[in-house]
Amino acid sequence: MTMNDHLQKLEKMSITLIREAKAQFKNPAVLWSTGKDSTATVWLCKKAFFGKVPFPVVHIDTSYKFPQIYQFRDKIAKEWELNLIVARNEEAIKKGMSPKKGALDCCTALKTEALKNLIEEREFDALIMAIRRDEHGIRAKERQFSPRDENFHWNYKDQPAELWNLYVKPSEDFSHMRVHPILTWTEFNVWEYMKQEKLPVNPLYFAKNGKRYRSLGCMPCTVPVESTASNIDEIVEEIRTSVSPERAGRSQDKEKAYMMQKLRSLGYM
Amino acid sequence: MIILALDALDLEQVKKYNCKHLLQKEYGKTDLSDFKQPRTVVLWSSFLTGKNMESQIPIKTQWEFKVKPEQTFLKYFEKYKTIDVPAFSHKPSHVKERELLKGYFEEKATVEEFDELVWKIHEENKKEFFEALGKFDLLMGYFNLADSIGHLSFGITEKMAKVYQELDQLAEKIKDADDHILIISDHGMKAIGRYGDHNRNGFYSFNHKMGLNLPKITNFYDLIRRQLEK
Repeated sequence: MTMNDHLQKLEKMSITLIREAKAQFKNPAVLWSTGKDSTATVWLCKKAFFGKVPFPVVHIDTSYKFPQIYQFRDKIAKEWELNLIVARNEEAIKKGMSPKKGALDCCTALKTEALKNLIEEREFDALIMAIRRDEHGIRAKERQFSPRDENFHWNYKDQPAELWNLYVKPSEDFSHMRVHPILTWTEFNVWEYMKQEKLPVNPLYFAKNGKRYRSLGCMPCTVPVESTASNIDEIVEEIRTSVSPERAGRSQDKEKAYMMQKLRSLGYM
Repeated sequence: MIILALDALDLEQVKKYNCKHLLQKEYGKTDLSDFKQPRTVVLWSSFLTGKNMESQIPIKTQWEFKVKPEQTFLKYFEKYKTIDVPAFSHKPSHVKERELLKGYFEEKATVEEFDELVWKIHEENKKEFFEALGKFDLLMGYFNLADSIGHLSFGITEKMAKVYQELDQLAEKIKDADDHILIISDHGMKAIGRYGDHNRNGFYSFNHKMGLNLPKITNFYDLIRRQLEK
């Protein structure tokens, strides 16, 4: 099997999942951070429905993102004719929530709460998200169709089996379904796909002065990694030979955030 | 009597790391179902007093909370010594330890700095413990190595193996030091990726057959008193 065959197989599977989500749910949406994974996912949504994404594309704006993210978002939303919804937790922003008040509290208020409010307001019943199993341990437990309750809790010990590619809604109550069309892709697959499809790439990914961003988050909580990869071919080659973790530049990974929260609840901090 | 109070010692881990000295004649899990949360200070103070102290200990001020000797089973011993026991004789050096723990999450301190302090406190307590051995009717030594190292490194087998090996060696060194030896933990621990979170698998181990079946941590107050009456 050539790499191209492999990408075609991944694309086909992802498009099936996106179409399945659209067929099973009344009001789905796709989340888009403008990073490589979610840009590839929005592109897959376009391809799944012959050039037009038939549901809203949601961007969670913490107000602390890089200017290049906003520029890229507005340019691509226009070019791809996306129904873009920007979600912000204005109340928390007005009250001065920032990473200085603690990365976990900031992420909870400006990302999680902003999304919760939007789900409630727009009554979304499915969210298509660009997470991948190889990003870190906790995501490796995810399923392609993953139910969440109203507090976004995910019971990884009780998940639908997904045998023979059958994606069935759980019978009991759930707030919304997370759909993960690129769950089985790797970071390398995504870059190969971006290259193959000639997709637009956020310029933050390209190296300047020996550094580039490998994973995009908010400005205060994301640091660049050492790199000389200044175009997509060089990034593909760099990722192919890299042994460092993709999220090395992100200050707040999920396990760490969870643990910090637990230690606080136990009175250690 | 000797009480080895080992914070977060978990039966499954004791077995995993083949700690045969920690597993005395009788051992098992304790029942912590009466507690809303397996909190360290709450569980040790409940062990000392034989009463569920959860409602009396606010989270924010828990490390300053102290029980009086007359509230505890210590009052039954003429001559006792406790080393670093939470809610009783907990040492101020743990303040710095908690600062480093917080610092790790705020990226102001490293795991290595934290581990170094935890091991230093452990070695100090160990020295004090062995100096006191044989000099008291009751010697209760508290060691938080499994808890503190576990919180940041429970998923790192090499590190935890070293911790459990150390605690097993402690148990080996005291195995003939007294007629009554109780090894007890407040709670157990489960992995959250590389990190460790408290679970409800409390552990106990006696050097006598007691015939206990999933005892509550508050039951040990009476058990200790009854041992003295024998």
